[in-house]
Amino acid sequence: MSSEEKKGEKGVFRELYETFFSHSWQMWLGSILLAVMSIFLFLIASPWGSSGGIVNWGQNLYHNLGLSLENSAPNGVALITEYRYAMLSITVIIGALVSALMGKEFAIRVAPAGELFKGLIGGLMMGAGCILAMGCTVGNFFSGLAALSAGAIIFGIGLFIGVFLSVKYLLWEMDKHPKMSSGKSASILQAKSKGLSLQPLAGLIIFIIGLVIVFTVSDIIILSFALIGLFIGILLQRSRWCVVRALREPFMTGDSEPAVGIIAGIIIGLLGFSIIKFFGIGSETAMVVENFWMPSIIGGIIFGFGMTIAGGCTIGSSWRAGEGHVKLWLALLGIIIAGPLTAEYIKPAFMNMLPGWMKQSIFLPDYFTYIGGVIIMILLLLMWYIFVKWNERTGKFTAL
Amino acid sequence: MVMADQTLDCKGLSCPMPILKLAKTMKQFEKGKILELLATDPGSKADVPAWCDRTGNELVETGEESGVYKYYIKCNK
Repeated sequence: MSSEEKKGEKGVFRELYETFFSHSWQMWLGSILLAVMSIFLFLIASPWGSSGGIVNWGQNLYHNLGLSLENSAPNGVALITEYRYAMLSITVIIGALVSALMGKEFAIRVAPAGELFKGLIGGLMMGAGCILAMGCTVGNFFSGLAALSAGAIIFGIGLFIGVFLSVKYLLWEMDKHPKMSSGKSASILQAKSKGLSLQPLAGLIIFIIGLVIVFTVSDIIILSFALIGLFIGILLQRSRWCVVRALREPFMTGDSEPAVGIIAGIIIGLLGFSIIKFFGIGSETAMVVENFWMPSIIGGIIFGFGMTIAGGCTIGSSWRAGEGHVKLWLALLGIIIAGPLTAEYIKPAFMNMLPGWMKQSIFLPDYFTYIGGVIIMILLLLMWYIFVKWNERTGKFTAL
Repeated sequence: MVMADQTLDCKGLSCPMPILKLAKTMKQFEKGKILELLATDPGSKADVPAWCDRTGNELVETGEESGVYKYYIKCNK
């Protein structure tokens, strides 16, 4: 082999690397691929979800500390290694870490104290909100809408209200208390800008270690979830996939791109899930729970407010945690602390208080047939699309 | 090398704080002056150019040094 051919080969790998890691991907691309991953998960067992796994970590923590969880886990707490969503939530963070390292974007970023505080508070609110609404922006929104759940529509409305209020708060804070977001900050372990960076190598090594650990899992379903989680983490970090941005930007900058991205993913999920459900390949009731409408609206508002001050929902916090943002580590901690406590002490009383018609499980095809359900969902997504595009042009709801 | 009239330090901050601060600072900025924005959030690499595009402010130069992304933005409003 001549030296020129060698050079050419190196060029191919370099090109391949740069295709994936030299810049961020369009959000719609990440979103569609994530919907495909969610369809894979559904074909294996059940669609993609995020908060359930993180709350399970918290339940394990409380259980080990000796707290009784008799209301929320009467049959005992599932071990992290035996619960597919708990494993998925771990490998998502590892995947995001790998992706950030490969793109030379990893650094431990310590935000000013006021920001760290907002991360924790936002996390606590997300922990409470996802338990009351019975799911987060992934399971109860991205997957929930695709699963034709009416509760997911109401959760979306709750999120919108929460985000709207939270943006108002952020603008007020910026005006009256600018110290909250300024002060001492630090950045550690960032990639060198000149010369060779070790980050891509570290990313590759962690990816291989992650793969080896995933393949030691004996349960084939949990193994598959953990494996797909690694790739979900990479997709999330590469496309900077963010439900907060999709819902927030109309009220902030007016940018419609994140919303369009999320909508594109939901439509792919909607088609895939409908086929899986219609042909009986997977359960019709997957991601359809008794949250229509009161649990969804209350939980949605609390969750929406929390994710906006934290700067990431459960999954957005997960991949940003992998990228090294300490504020989002604290958001995850908040979910871990508040989720299990809300499930144990608040949710049973909350659900008892509600009359039956406020806590129904509504699967749209039961009322409108599959075709009708899909059409309703697409019309709602179209309304969302028209709103963000119209708002982008007119700036009617835009603050900045 | 662009000379900045003022520096806005957003190091350590994650989305959406850098954009919120940038928008607030630019509101009180004089036309034609140049703001230097320092950020460590990789999200800023896409968000700052997009914001400049939308608001009609000019992104004169960008750079990166040891994990700090630098943006030089000329106020056009």
